[in-house]
Amino acid sequence: MFWAYVPYMLAGVLWTFALVGGGLGLGFLIGLPIAIGQVYGGRVVKAFLDVYVWFFRGVPLLVLLFLFYWGVFPALGHKLPALEASIIVLGLRSGAYQSQIFRGAIESVGEGQMVAARSLGMSRVSAILHIILPQALRIAIPGWTNEYAILLKDSAICFTLGVLEILTRTRYVVIATGEALLPYITAGFLFIFLTYGGTKVLNVIYEKTRIPGLVWRM
Amino acid sequence: MDVVLRAEDIHKSYGKTKVLKGISFEVGRGETKVICGPSGAGKSTLLRCLNLLTRPDKGRVWLEDVELTSPSVNINKMRQRIGFVFQEFNLFNHLTALDNVMIGLTKVKKLPKDEARRIAKEALLTVHITEDLWNKYPAQLSGGQKQRVAIARALAMDPVIILYDEPTSALDPHLIGEVLEVMKELARRKVTGLVVTHEIGFALSVADEIMFMYNGKIVERGPPKEVVFNPKHEVTARFFKRISELYGGRK
Repeated sequence: MFWAYVPYMLAGVLWTFALVGGGLGLGFLIGLPIAIGQVYGGRVVKAFLDVYVWFFRGVPLLVLLFLFYWGVFPALGHKLPALEASIIVLGLRSGAYQSQIFRGAIESVGEGQMVAARSLGMSRVSAILHIILPQALRIAIPGWTNEYAILLKDSAICFTLGVLEILTRTRYVVIATGEALLPYITAGFLFIFLTYGGTKVLNVIYEKTRIPGLVWRM
Repeated sequence: MDVVLRAEDIHKSYGKTKVLKGISFEVGRGETKVICGPSGAGKSTLLRCLNLLTRPDKGRVWLEDVELTSPSVNINKMRQRIGFVFQEFNLFNHLTALDNVMIGLTKVKKLPKDEARRIAKEALLTVHITEDLWNKYPAQLSGGQKQRVAIARALAMDPVIILYDEPTSALDPHLIGEVLEVMKELARRKVTGLVVTHEIGFALSVADEIMFMYNGKIVERGPPKEVVFNPKHEVTARFFKRISELYGGRK
């Protein structure tokens, strides 16, 4: 009977959260510095970062998962558990996408802000920290909300490594009950609710951090 | 005279275009000097060369007894002492009027918050930004208010000199007056200023000297009345004739 397995499926939400939270968090830590480097870095730095973005945006997620889980991590002498490996791969890839969200945001802040900061005697680093990023991060929230929605659903692919997230558990339930329709519908709705809830929260943050009176010219 | 800013033979090119072709002048303590000239003359580039927002190709700049163009100078340290007011205001969008004035004091001069706030409020009152506007964001202010906050931001740093880059050119005509009034007050209080502007009335009432720039050079300089009403050069004469026709003799 399917309904008996619902709590088991719901527990998958926690694992999905771990994948999404870890992936987005790691992606943020990678993506923001990449964006700063791409905007303010020298030619060599930019070229190096371009290669990173080019690679992680170019290779399918499934290939990345297999490559790192079966190939890269064992080669480095650390065969990681599926959850950790998945979070790292999702993070590396999301970092590439997030970097482009942040880059666009930084570039739309306007050159006058940096010039004004420098004219006060701020160093470049200080100007980026106190003037550019507080504005760029606000601008980036809608794009970042999109990244959340995409990463959430991409995380389902981690079933291929046996991470006990929503889809993996759903497949076990299908096997156990011999029933496919209800379990997959349930899984689908779980993702819809998570997408809706998360984007709602981020929209509230966007509204709360809005600069009064300001309309960004992008 | 006590010279606070000295430029010596400044040259700057962008690609093959020579924007500045050897500019030299000095500004004494308490003086207000005005630079005018047609667009493309190199006025803005010159101002930016003075605090090294743009690095001159050749030539030297001194602030008091420090040569800014010397490679060993910590330019961030020196820029704290040179106020800069932009045509487009460039207030920090995410900060209130008060925070815009405070941030240089707290993050650059590293003053304690209380002291910074006190100085910032004083600077805002000097430019007639009253308390009801202190917590407004730039997007909630009029152009004239924005520019006065920007002047307060420069003033609060207790600069040796303030450089103004066409401070009223982006303003609606009815807001120009309030900004010019503040600038005149500062000039009368002997806050040293170097002003790029087409506001001849301002120059005539408070400037100690007008420098007329054309094609990357200072072609004429002297007391405002002399330069405006008795120009020696044909380009200067043509320029001021056109300006006065445009403004209908506004003084």
